[in-house]
Amino acid sequence: MSAEQDTSTPLLEVRGIEKSFPGVRALSGVSFDVRAGEAHALIGENGAGKSTLIKIMSGVFRPDAGSILVEGHERRLATPDDARRAGIATIYQELLLFPELSVAENIFLGHSPRAKGGWIDWRAMRAKAEALLASLDIDDLPPDETVGALSVGNRQRVEILRALSHDARVLIMDEPTAALTEADVTRLFDIVRRLKARGVAIIYISHRLDETFAIADRVTVLRDGAYVGTRLTRETNSGELVQMMVGRRIDNMFPKTEAPIGEPVLETRNLVRRPLTKSISITVRAGEIVGLAGLVGSGRSELAQTVFGVWPAESGEIRLMGEPVTIRSPAEARARGIAYVPEDRGSQGLVRPMSVLHNMSLAALSSLTFASFIDRSAERRLAEQAVGRFGVKTRSLDEVAGRLSGGNQQKIVLGKWLANQPKLLILDEPTRGIDVGAKAEIHRFMGELARAGVAILMISSELPEVLGMSDRVLVMREGRLVAEFDRAAATAQAVGAAMMGDASAAEKAA
Amino acid sequence: MSAIALSGASTTRASFWRRLSSQETLLAVAIIGLAVVVGLVNPRFLGANNLADILLGNAYIAVAAIGMSMIIITGNIDISVGALIGVLATVSGSLAVAGAPIAVTWIAPLLLGVLVMGLQGVIVAYVGIPAIVVTLGMLSILKGGLISVTGGKWITDLPDAFHLADIEIFGFIPMPVAIMVVATIIAAIWMRWWPLGRAIYATGGNPEAARLSGVSPRGTLVMVFVLHGFFAGVAALLFATQLRVIQSTTPSGLEFTIITASVVGGVSILGGVGTVVGSTLAAILIAEITSALVFINVSPFWTHAVQGTLILATVIADIVRRRRRLAGAGR
Amino acid sequence: MSAVATSPRPSRARFLLRHETVLALMLVIALIGLGMFNDRFLTIDNLLNQGRLMTEIGLIALPMTFVIITGGIDVSVGAIVGLCAIVLGYSWKNLGFPLPLATLFAIVVGAAAGLANGLVITRIKVPPIITTIATLTLFRGLAEGVSQAHSVRGYPDWFYFLGQGEVFGVPTQLLILIIAIVVFGVALDRTSFGRTLYAIGSNETAARFSALPVERVKLAAYTLSGLMSGLSAFVLVSRVTTTRSDMGMGYELDAIAAVVLGGTSIFGGSGTIWGTVIGLVMIQLLKNGLALTGVKGDATIVVIGVVLIASVLIASSLQRRRV
Repeated sequence: MSAEQDTSTPLLEVRGIEKSFPGVRALSGVSFDVRAGEAHALIGENGAGKSTLIKIMSGVFRPDAGSILVEGHERRLATPDDARRAGIATIYQELLLFPELSVAENIFLGHSPRAKGGWIDWRAMRAKAEALLASLDIDDLPPDETVGALSVGNRQRVEILRALSHDARVLIMDEPTAALTEADVTRLFDIVRRLKARGVAIIYISHRLDETFAIADRVTVLRDGAYVGTRLTRETNSGELVQMMVGRRIDNMFPKTEAPIGEPVLETRNLVRRPLTKSISITVRAGEIVGLAGLVGSGRSELAQTVFGVWPAESGEIRLMGEPVTIRSPAEARARGIAYVPEDRGSQGLVRPMSVLHNMSLAALSSLTFASFIDRSAERRLAEQAVGRFGVKTRSLDEVAGRLSGGNQQKIVLGKWLANQPKLLILDEPTRGIDVGAKAEIHRFMGELARAGVAILMISSELPEVLGMSDRVLVMREGRLVAEFDRAAATAQAVGAAMMGDASAAEKAA
Repeated sequence: MSAIALSGASTTRASFWRRLSSQETLLAVAIIGLAVVVGLVNPRFLGANNLADILLGNAYIAVAAIGMSMIIITGNIDISVGALIGVLATVSGSLAVAGAPIAVTWIAPLLLGVLVMGLQGVIVAYVGIPAIVVTLGMLSILKGGLISVTGGKWITDLPDAFHLADIEIFGFIPMPVAIMVVATIIAAIWMRWWPLGRAIYATGGNPEAARLSGVSPRGTLVMVFVLHGFFAGVAALLFATQLRVIQSTTPSGLEFTIITASVVGGVSILGGVGTVVGSTLAAILIAEITSALVFINVSPFWTHAVQGTLILATVIADIVRRRRRLAGAGR
Repeated sequence: MSAVATSPRPSRARFLLRHETVLALMLVIALIGLGMFNDRFLTIDNLLNQGRLMTEIGLIALPMTFVIITGGIDVSVGAIVGLCAIVLGYSWKNLGFPLPLATLFAIVVGAAAGLANGLVITRIKVPPIITTIATLTLFRGLAEGVSQAHSVRGYPDWFYFLGQGEVFGVPTQLLILIIAIVVFGVALDRTSFGRTLYAIGSNETAARFSALPVERVKLAAYTLSGLMSGLSAFVLVSRVTTTRSDMGMGYELDAIAAVVLGGTSIFGGSGTIWGTVIGLVMIQLLKNGLALTGVKGDATIVVIGVVLIASVLIASSLQRRRV
């Protein structure tokens, strides 16, 4: 339990933070504070703004409006260095370590203890490292071990120690337990408790409600970039938190039209691919839209990419139209009528320097070629059709694809795969980062495709989209399928609870 | 607390030696082992004259490999150093023949080496052109420039004071060998105990993390090229003073011999790891292999094939090992 | 009905500013300039002879364009030329192969060398730079070892037709180069193979996710590089009537310089065969011009080196301004 709080000045406070990016309002009027010796959890759905907020607190982004106060004094955190000097240390999910150097050196690089004359004092470095390790009661991490050989849990510990070596007063951790084993999580909590006892303030972003209750003193909920509320963890429960995270009016924004549902197109049975696909069995039928909900890191994209052949399955079965098949590459998947619109359209979906025309035909080249020669007029016709059908706004087919807006880029990726007339369409975050108009259009296409008999598996982190578009909702958590709802039973509360892994809230909602 | 003091100290020393010496120990064993094996086949291989020749004649490669190791540790490469050594040796020799003071003939190549390499470093670090392209271009500028200026003539009539190789420290250690050993030790100490030396490893290991730790990857890169130029200058001096003449060209493939020494010495092509002690030992080993080929009646024309196989095998082994480690991190 | 304006060709203004056009203009100016400066220059004889001389590099520069477009590089091409030349001479003289078979064998060895490069790069995933530096040493070393620094001479007369003969007044190897240019150019511009090369260089991940055969195409590019080096060796031996192990030295410099000068980005994703051809011609003209004004052969590589660095510098600063 937390020690007696110093309730006077918070160690770090932000007031009225506004932040927008082109086309997206990431944060609007968010205020937040953390006190010495406190662990304050920051929770919300994907895209709620948590990541943007901590980047502002670590000096990576600058807010459009609002102020940041460190120990009551207003500060400008224009660069990560400023944040570090203000005593704020951040630990990201992609650890920034030197794999070939030792633990001690990783901790002290850039501010190593020096002997007379400026030479590095390795003995002092080791001693200081050992002292830091001891202060957190870590006795199984030799300071001379090479970081590259360590497990993820240990590497994270090195990062925490590095933050402490800079005398951090505020420690921000972004999804620290996402890649840890249970034993590592327990040890992490132990460290957090010790840090709290030393007066360090901890800001802790996580999706896992059970952890929030285990370790945090207060919890703040963000939703769609806005501040929803702050509670003392001992005075709230998961049901209330889930409600705060997802509760919103679900207008019928999405024109869900009925489509006749046919035979199963995709069936997987106990599909396994380490590390994130742990025995998944799902079915998607012709004309059906199956929504796959879950938190970031729950393994949804990995499942899709296994079905699509990017990471071929290690065991288990895939059946297409009832026939068992093996899919070892995207080319084989495509040949069997599977299409995959990836999560990251910039790095996975489009070749941005290429023209709209060339991007549109990229997945269908084999059908446009005769003896390997591309039939240019057929290619142009295909692209014109796709552009017209999906309403891609571009000055010409030869425009560089990277210059178009997010919505139009997404339509190109969609169009490129639909040129193959697939039987199974897997969409991974189809409307992320897209304006409302384009969103509605893409949903309309999905409806049309379903009516035409295409089986659609839609991965999405936007609950309204999942609830509005799906005939059935599947929920994945940590590589497993944890819940299935048909359209009637799928409510925000129930699905949200299943995503967070909160059994009691799920029951209450059902 | 005391658990650390006890177990920590002993594992500290153990892992320190384990980490620092695995490649170097392997090399030392290989050097001795090869000598023994070849000596059995042809005892003349172990004659004092031959061993001295091996060391004397190749000390300059080890010195050049010091700078090359630093370059590769930062994740770059340089193929112009062979031609540069040729140019610097000729400059030094020409100055000596023209009657310049000996100190000048020794300092000029160092300065020139620093300038030429520093320029390349700036282009690579600040303009962002890949090192392979810049050094490929510079290689031809230097090689072509040297031939057209000297017309292929060798430099003779060098003043006696010029010949470093004649000097012997403590009466029996030839100067080139002494320079090789001293340079290696100084560089090794610097790269382990001086913050700028550690910055080389940081830049090569994770440039982004380095930047956030206060190390400037670009500045470090330029520094490394400058140092490389300095060591190339020293190597040029050793090369120039080997014989009584300065040839108009350097041995073909010199730069690749130097790269081989670094890579076989434990410097990973992916950057971030390696030592100059390793590259010096590897340079000695390569020289030993070249000589051994002759003594077991294999034509010296197979030397480059052996080198190429060595470097290919070392690089493949290194990449495979790294990939396997990334796939399943340990403790 | 399409709601989009389709312009089948880039606008006139963009066409004029394209790298290749600028280069072509510079080429014309250089031709005229050199012609005025030296009256031996603009003779048919001289120009055809230059065409003959640039074939060996040209044959290598074509697949080098492919390799660099994918974001890779191959510095072992010169060594492969040396190796294939030796294999040609030695399999004929020492192994007794009939000469046509020896020639074919040499070209196959070249392709195999390129394939080896490709396998190390795609299967073991060693970066192309270090792979080709290692194989450069290995292949050159093999050439030296097999030949023991002896050269092979005494080829029959008909063998020199490729390197020294003419067809309708045009040097034979130049015809072969022209055919190769057309084949490579069409392949790059109009086939799915070419399209895949560009995709790999611009965004390899997206290419993979688009179900393109990334590994196979990369492998093909490096194998072609080796094969054309073998062909180049054949032309070279036929032209100089001898086989030596130091043949092909420096070819990689000229080939890469031609490709980069021709507008192909060293980072991959863009470039054309036509650009490479112009780059090739310009470099040959440069060499010719220098030779005609009395500059000795070795000094020309100084100029080529400067040209390489300068063109990469200029290309990179132009790219920065556009982005």
